[in-house]
Amino acid sequence: MADYFFELLTEEIPAWMHDAAAATLRDRLGDLCAQIAGRAADDTVTVQSTSRRIVFVLHRLPARTDDQTKFVKGPPRTAAYKDGSPTPALLGFLKKQNASLDDLIEQDPQYITVKTVVPGVETKDILARGVPQIIENLRWPKMMRWGAGEHSYIRPIHSIISVFEGEHLPITIFGTQSGTQTVGHRTLAPKPFNVSSYNDYVTKLELARVVVDPMRRREVMVHRARALSNEVDGKPSEDASIWSQWQYLTEYPGLVRAEFRREYLALPEEVLVTVMRVHQKQLPIRDRKDRLTNSFLAVLDNNGDPEGNAAYGNSFVTNARFADAQFFYETDRRKKLEERLEQLSHLQFQEKLGNYLDKTRRIERIAKGILDDADVATAARLCKTDLVTEMVKEFTDLQGRVGGIYAREEGLPENVWQAVYDHYQPVSLDDALPRNLAGAVVSLADRIDTLVGFFSIGAKPTGSKDPFGLRRAAQGVVQILLNRDKREVKIGIDQLIDLGIEAYGGGASVKDELLAFFAERVRTILEASHWQFAYDEIAATMESGWASSLTDLVDRLAALKATRSDPNFLSVLDSAKRIANITEGHVSRQVDSSKLEHATEKRLNELADVATSQIDDMVAHRQYRPALESFAAMAPELETFFKDVMVNVDDQAVRANRMSLLRKVGGAVMKIADVTKIVVDRRDYRAP
Amino acid sequence: MSRVTFQSLILRLQNFWAERGCIIESSLDLEVGAGTMHPATYLRVLGPEPWNVAYVQPSRRPADGRYGDNPFRLGKHYQFQVILKPSPLDVQDLYLDSLRAIGLDLTKHDLRFEEDNWESPTLGAWGVGWQILLDGMEITQFTYFQQAGGIDLAPMSAEITYGLERLTMFLARQASVFDIDWTAGVPYGAVRKQDEYEFSKYYFELADIDVHWKLLDIYENEARRCLEAKLVLPAYEWTLKCSHLFNTLDARGAVSVTERVGVIKRVRDLAVRCAEQYFAARKELGFPLLQAATTHG
Repeated sequence: MADYFFELLTEEIPAWMHDAAAATLRDRLGDLCAQIAGRAADDTVTVQSTSRRIVFVLHRLPARTDDQTKFVKGPPRTAAYKDGSPTPALLGFLKKQNASLDDLIEQDPQYITVKTVVPGVETKDILARGVPQIIENLRWPKMMRWGAGEHSYIRPIHSIISVFEGEHLPITIFGTQSGTQTVGHRTLAPKPFNVSSYNDYVTKLELARVVVDPMRRREVMVHRARALSNEVDGKPSEDASIWSQWQYLTEYPGLVRAEFRREYLALPEEVLVTVMRVHQKQLPIRDRKDRLTNSFLAVLDNNGDPEGNAAYGNSFVTNARFADAQFFYETDRRKKLEERLEQLSHLQFQEKLGNYLDKTRRIERIAKGILDDADVATAARLCKTDLVTEMVKEFTDLQGRVGGIYAREEGLPENVWQAVYDHYQPVSLDDALPRNLAGAVVSLADRIDTLVGFFSIGAKPTGSKDPFGLRRAAQGVVQILLNRDKREVKIGIDQLIDLGIEAYGGGASVKDELLAFFAERVRTILEASHWQFAYDEIAATMESGWASSLTDLVDRLAALKATRSDPNFLSVLDSAKRIANITEGHVSRQVDSSKLEHATEKRLNELADVATSQIDDMVAHRQYRPALESFAAMAPELETFFKDVMVNVDDQAVRANRMSLLRKVGGAVMKIADVTKIVVDRRDYRAP
Repeated sequence: MSRVTFQSLILRLQNFWAERGCIIESSLDLEVGAGTMHPATYLRVLGPEPWNVAYVQPSRRPADGRYGDNPFRLGKHYQFQVILKPSPLDVQDLYLDSLRAIGLDLTKHDLRFEEDNWESPTLGAWGVGWQILLDGMEITQFTYFQQAGGIDLAPMSAEITYGLERLTMFLARQASVFDIDWTAGVPYGAVRKQDEYEFSKYYFELADIDVHWKLLDIYENEARRCLEAKLVLPAYEWTLKCSHLFNTLDARGAVSVTERVGVIKRVRDLAVRCAEQYFAARKELGFPLLQAATTHG
């Protein structure tokens, strides 16, 4: 058993690409190990990377793969020998299998069978072929060419280490030949050195100021962040995304604390945090009461900052950025949001869909259609005005929030400023929804306007292409409408689309397309997110309607989910499918009780009458679970019916009447769900 | 080391790259937004001819002007531009050496290469690379050119663009660009502040919009005539003038969103045709620098 160790030295790879690349590598290397050792245990492959190296170790590989025994069937025995001698058919087969007559075994009475042994292969041969393939075929999100330009990869390749069983295993990647040499940290220890194994490599690299394990770099940084924050009696802000960036921006896990000018703390916190986090990749330090301080942390690919250069540089840029922000902030506040409306007419929304003033007018109209309320109207009118502020022109990712902050400072009601602030939310499945009702309404109006608009000019998403973020827009609508417990937005997607179409003057014939588009989002969200409904449950309930109310859909789903494992319900589902098959094409539910012959069918009819009226009553009061239970209660009677009564009799009238009876029973819960779409395994509820 | 001045920085960089075999070109005598637009970059990166060059390029960005009031922003700044074609494998190390040559002890600073790709819609050009952060501050753009004028490049060029004012400010620990020394005893502000004020005033307030739109038509037409006459270098100069007119109109707030797309397309069409014609012209000449390299290499 021996380890294989590999290093690819490149130039700095974008930080955000490392995790995905490591995951792909782990998979492919796992396959390679399985090919060699016949197994791929989780601990067989270690992948690590720094800003400019990709390193992996394949642990405990055998020196060669095992011999493999194969049994191969050949021609029929009758054709294999003639007069006791092998025929050309047999000899040809043996030749093809690289076998001789000695390899024949008595296994199959009818066919000739040979046993062949495929000898194992040297592991180093598999590695020498497999590793370059895996590395060269790794697809990166953005590739480049360099030098003569004949290769395309994430960054130029400098050197390769390839070591197996303590010895160099020569390989070539994009024309670069491997060796056992690497270099240390770019500025702190750039000299080349040789390594004999992974352990040797890690040790020597640490001396050369490189920590090759990204998790270790991260741990060191987290620890250092706490210590540096403690010195100013604070703590690092919570921010999961910064660590994964920092760990891949470095080879040595360094951090430095720096300060910006205290006066900038008067700027809105969102602006300060966005500048530091997004633009500067810095982490703000908060005090014990969680308030922002003027200290922050910045990453450092160095083991210290002995002369204070990094602290100075980071302060310098951050102050410069904040000076800009302060200038924007002061300029912006000279003009109220209300006064910016006119300017929106110079800002194009989409060539064929007009400018942002046009969009604002439509949002106002749609919002009013959803909820006629003064705060909603104000928020709808002002929601896009921050697009013409200097602050949003500079920090586009703060759109909405800047408008909200300015509205707050102008003294507008909480309902209004929060609605403006939140109306781009949710931006993803796990993002928060708008805090208040007005925000939810404006968000809905904005989204449906965008959706109807883009669909009406034929710019709907295709395949993986969705340049205008329409899937996300629709997803947000669904998320908001599903969240009935916190927001009483009483509108269905159906009406919302109508409002959108009206806002464009009513001409657009996009409703069916949009409904189908939304239906797909509804299915995805209910299946994937925290709702966790099963695909068949969703299909069954959506068949009974969804576009008029998503919260009603969820109620029906919850009832169905809760009832579906009840044995009676499963039995009734099974019967419902038989009913659907038997009565295919039969529509009437009118039963002529005088034509009922069997006691069983008479009883079923009476039961169905009672149950149906009960169910209808409960459905009217949205009591879906008891309704489904009443439905399930018909199970024993139905089973008896199928045992005792023949539906497909010759007498046409009797047959039709029985079909009507079954339709009546089967359709009893059609307003809740088309239960025939539920997948049932008969073994779930009755012993065979 | 004595206090870093704007000028000493230029001289040291020039010497450094000259010693490494670069031609020291002069600035283009036209208004451009970046050193990339100098024909010594945009056109020379095309085709198989080797090309190593360094030069200072005053770069005008009318919209960035702040009347000389903002200590960090300038309507005109100076770039030090280096092109190495084909890009040598040790190009990053060469760059680090250039920083050492201007007096930086890199072991005492933080130096990082953070992804920053470059794209110019008006030039039909893009590249992949980094912004180089010295102690958290961007001092250089480093780009491996991939395409120019819509043409896939081979061999590839590495472009290194130093922001000279920023670098000087940082090395001299000055908080305002106007306080750095151009040379000892002559502050940058004393040399340039009037320029910043007057051009901000002109680009934002005075530039005659109608005249600029008319000039755009005239220059564009002249560029086309040159292209038809197979005079690619004059055609390219007229193209650059169009580009600057567009930047001026944009700063003046005279370009609507719809117009913007249209004007960018007009300039790009010219730039792409220039690139194609330049390549063809060099080919017709037998790629002279390629032959020079084989003869003397």
